[in-house]
Formats: sequence, C-alpha cells, structure tokens
Amino acid sequence: MGYLEEMAKYHKSAKQKEFGADFLVKEDIDQYEFWDEIEIGKESELPMKFEVKAEDLVAYAEGVPDDNPIFYDEAYARKCGHDGIVAHPMFGTQVGFFLMRKGHGSWIRTPGARNPGQIIEYYDPIKVGDILTMKIKGHDKWIKRGKYYMRYMTETFDQHGNLKIRYYVTLILPRTREDVLKFLKGEHALQA
Amino acid sequence: MEKKIIFESVNCGDVLPEVRQMVNQEVIWQHAAGSMDYNPVHNNPEWCKTAQVFGLPVTVMHGNQTMSLMCKVVTNWAYPSGGRLKRIESKLVRPVPVDATCIYGATVTEKHPIGKGKDFVTLDIWAKDEQGNTVGVAEAEVYLP
Repeated sequence: MGYLEEMAKYHKSAKQKEFGADFLVKEDIDQYEFWDEIEIGKESELPMKFEVKAEDLVAYAEGVPDDNPIFYDEAYARKCGHDGIVAHPMFGTQVGFFLMRKGHGSWIRTPGARNPGQIIEYYDPIKVGDILTMKIKGHDKWIKRGKYYMRYMTETFDQHGNLKIRYYVTLILPRTREDVLKFLKGEHALQA
Repeated sequence: MEKKIIFESVNCGDVLPEVRQMVNQEVIWQHAAGSMDYNPVHNNPEWCKTAQVFGLPVTVMHGNQTMSLMCKVVTNWAYPSGGRLKRIESKLVRPVPVDATCIYGATVTEKHPIGKGKDFVTLDIWAKDEQGNTVGVAEAEVYLP
C-alpha cells in the first residue's frame, strides 16, 4: 500500500475526504507562489469558506493525538466553562491548509519547506457552527544563515465579523521555482 | 473533575505535568490527516530517502505537531478549569525523526493580574527528545479563571 492509501485510512470528515492529500502534483506546484516572487504587503481575502463541524475539531484532536474530553464531549466541555467542544489551539493549521490550497498563500504547501516556529494570537474561540473566512497579507521575508524565511499574517473571522485568531504563518522555503521543482523530483535543493 | 486551576492558586515557578509521546509513521500520518499538512517531508518515506530536506533520509514529525503537543501540556492543565490560550510563540530548533519519543513540559514564569476574566499567566514550554536534546521551545500566555 502506498503512503497516500495509508493516510486515507485516517480520512473521516467530509473535508478530509474531499481535500487532495498529494502535495507532489506538478500542475498544482506550477501555480504556487515562490519565495523570490512573493510580494510583501500584498493582501487578499481567500475565496473559500470553512464551516466548522464537530468532526473537523475531532479530526484535529485525534491527530495530535489528544484524548482530552474537552475536544470530544460537549457536555463535559460546557461543564468546564467552554462554549461547546473546544477547538484544539492548533486547529487553525487545518483551517489554513484547507483555505490556502490555491493562489495567494499556496506557498504553505511547498515541498522542501521547513517550519522554524509559529506565532498565534487567540481572540474569540472557534466553535462548531462558525463559518470561517481568512484574510492574508505578506508580512515579512528575510534571509538568515543562508535560509529563506517567509511570514504571512493571516486573520480568521467568523460569519459575524468576529476576529477568531491571528496566525503569523512562518516557513523556511526553497528560494526559487527551480529549487521547488527539484524537490518535486525528490532531489535535495537547499544550500543551507 | 480534576482540581480546579484558578489564577489566585497559581505561582511563578509552578511546574505543569509533562506529556510524553512516541511518534511513529502512523502517528505522523494521522496528524497529516488532522491538520491537512500533507507535505511529503512528513508523509512519504520513499521521497525522503533522496530529498533529505533536513539532511535525514527519513520522514520527520510535523513542526506543528510538536507545537500541538506543547499545547497539550497547557490544555491538560488549564482547559478543564475553563482556562484558554491567549497567545503562543514557538521556535522549533531540531527536526524530530520518525519513531522518536519526546517529552513536553512547562513552567509558570509570569502572573498578570489584569482583572477578573482578563488575568493571565505566562508559561515557558519545552519539548525534548529522550536524549535530552531540546527540539522546540515556546512562550504561551494563558487566561485563567
């Protein structure tokens, strides 16, 4: 069984089943943004929406893995003082990958990317029934010790306009399209 | 329910209960499915043999899974009492290869008595492998009732 089939065993939610798990599709990569082309200050509101279902929150918690009942049991979560089952603090990762799959922000999917650490500010808790949209803006890019860093500020809102989280998504990327295409073929293409 | 954690009962220097997690390929694949981060550096063992993004011929754990497990230290401790994260900033300093086991912990470093409903504490969080190497650190601010 190939790795895509292995991962498909864990696809339970409707979004997981619909989302493409192959990040090595050349036609997709051709549409990505690359480090040396990304414009700082460019902003946009992503076209897709993310309607939060309980199964989405459960899928994230299972993937941590974390069996704390606050993520699964609504009655327990309410008894603890929460407004329904809790979104894991890193649930915004699922929202980001779901919404940033094409066009602006698609560099998040880059083969060869490395994660140096993330910054997340929490405002209004994400809960079941929220319909989330995301605004993204090129925030910073820098070179340090030969590595090419990229940071976007993303803001996630619900259908009432409430800011839910501000997530500074940061990655170290291969610098050019040619470098990413080498990774597509399984070749190492980093100088540092 | 566990003993309630409230702002007044927490002190600087308090150490939170640790979390331990072994991460094999199945655990990584399930994290990929939960986060929708299907980057091959985590999921495709054959690709990793030659691509070696981190200089290793094997898959590595997602950095955001390390962050998620650092958060688990906080959610285990504060969320059953109605606490919740206000902010987290992490640095991931070392890749975690498949089949490693890591330990995650935290210490209270600051108390911010802002007012009822706004009081928060600051935590230093760490993640280490079984050899004692730090793989990630974070600073988190956590609202407490």
